Amino acid sequence: MQINRDINILVVDDFSTMRRIVKNLLKELGFSKFDEADDGATAWPMVKTGKYDFIVSDWNMPQMTGIDLLRHVRADEKLKDTPFLLITAEAKRSQILEAAQAGVDGYIVKPFTAATLNEKIQKIFERVAERQKAQS
Amino acid sequence: MKQIDKQIVLALLDAVEHDDQGRVTDLLDELTSIRETQIYQQLEALTKNLHETLDDLEVDAPILLHAKHDLPDIAERLQYVIHETQAASGKTLQAAENLSELLEELTLADDVTLDAAQQLKQQMNSELTNIMLAQSFQDLTGQVLNRVILIVTSLEESLKTLIARSKHDFEKIPERQYSEEERKAQEAKGMGPNVTRDAKQGALDSQEDIDDLLSDLGI
Repeated sequence: MQINRDINILVVDDFSTMRRIVKNLLKELGFSKFDEADDGATAWPMVKTGKYDFIVSDWNMPQMTGIDLLRHVRADEKLKDTPFLLITAEAKRSQILEAAQAGVDGYIVKPFTAATLNEKIQKIFERVAERQKAQS
Repeated sequence: MKQIDKQIVLALLDAVEHDDQGRVTDLLDELTSIRETQIYQQLEALTKNLHETLDDLEVDAPILLHAKHDLPDIAERLQYVIHETQAASGKTLQAAENLSELLEELTLADDVTLDAAQQLKQQMNSELTNIMLAQSFQDLTGQVLNRVILIVTSLEESLKTLIARSKHDFEKIPERQYSEEERKAQEAKGMGPNVTRDAKQGALDSQEDIDDLLSDLGI
């Protein structure tokens, strides 16, 4: 499936190194429009502008966690369908179930590979396309 | 030390039976005061024990030396590790990004002269060298972390000795218990990588396991 690579992506992680790695990998996959946030709390006002077509977020951040950010997004009528990918070191079974329940679209555990990221993004956008098709 | 005995309890029962509220209050006060005295005496004994244990320690006891000299250092040493690893990954990422730009240059150029190709090759080599050199942090941080492990292990031993001297049985210290609510709150906040054997309980080993679990949930 051909993915629209001309989308706005928000990368949220409290470690700048990780944001840089994710951005570089996304670039390699053909995406080019990114913004960054260093916490869920700084990301949320940015997300609320409605600019982003895809959110990639860490879980463990000092002020607002990624899972809380996800819940905020899903609870907002206008934003609730935004694809959301968690990239995190959190790997407890109960946490993954929690994320699934909160409505995550993909879950990648750190450290990860470019192939994993590519695969998850493909899968997420295939599902988005299916969802849109079903709605129209 | 005055104990709670049968006599005072019977007297209380008798007062209740005769509905003598004045005496009931007096006897209850007396009972409470006996109980409080016992608690104070126990506390006093505990404090005395702790004092004696600390007094027994020589001024050059390992635990005192750790407290004064090693503990303040640990945070500084770990800060250094964070700083060095961050700097190294910054340098490595920068070099990788530069390399990627150089490759792009090579791809976009219509016809590359031998000279230009040589120059690009030289630049790429220098970036590769930068990546290799940046890895030298591992030698330095490894040394610092080994030192921290040594201090923490030695501190653990000293604390165990202190516990034994204060007449506590280390083995009998209970396991740490978290309520379901506390565990959930910790997990929601995020706990970082599951490094210890304890933390690995309930954690999935690989991306594959996570994918399987999510696929069972239709994600």
